[in-house]
Amino acid sequence: MSNLHHTLEVKIPFKDNRLATTAQKVMATDPIIRPESFQVEYMVSEDDNGTLLAKFSAEDDRSLRVGVSSSLSSILTIIETMDELDSV
Amino acid sequence: MSSPYAVYSSPQIPQKTFEVDPQNPRYQTTNGKTTGPSDYVLNAGQIDRDKPSDPKMDPSNSEVPTYLSKLRMELTGVQDDINEFLTKQMEVAKNKRVKVDTPKQKAKELNEFGEEEIEEDEAY
Repeated sequence: MSNLHHTLEVKIPFKDNRLATTAQKVMATDPIIRPESFQVEYMVSEDDNGTLLAKFSAEDDRSLRVGVSSSLSSILTIIETMDELDSV
Repeated sequence: MSSPYAVYSSPQIPQKTFEVDPQNPRYQTTNGKTTGPSDYVLNAGQIDRDKPSDPKMDPSNSEVPTYLSKLRMELTGVQDDINEFLTKQMEVAKNKRVKVDTPKQKAKELNEFGEEEIEEDEAY
């Protein structure tokens, strides 16, 4: 997408690769409603052990704000669930 | 532990970073300022059933939150920082649009009402 020039990269350091990968898999299932104006890619960092990388790009700050805040809220719920149910 | 970290970039702003300040209370709560129902709605009697749970404390030390609770609090603060920043940027973009629109609007008025009327308006 060539017109998505407003970008945000968020690094979220999970405790280990297993939790980061779980979060990545959960987030990747959500379909993007307007891919022409907002895109997101989730990956587990190869340099930073256990870190989830979320790369957002949008056509403007409005689309970026809506998409990023919604995704971060979902990630916060994932962390809350792991904290409650996955005692390592 | 390392903390969440974010980097923003746009044609207007090449780079803006978002970092956690562990001492700041903003990064020590699970309740975000920019998420959830507004004060207006809450004051009107709405109950926030989706409110995030409080941080979980470490079973071996009740003074310290678990790793994941700390991560959640810090990410909540970063989310607030990002939301507030982008809301400001939206305002900047909106003001720019108004400025760009004004000359166009004037040209439209000139076409619709003729020059005389516009001159009258401008006298006020």
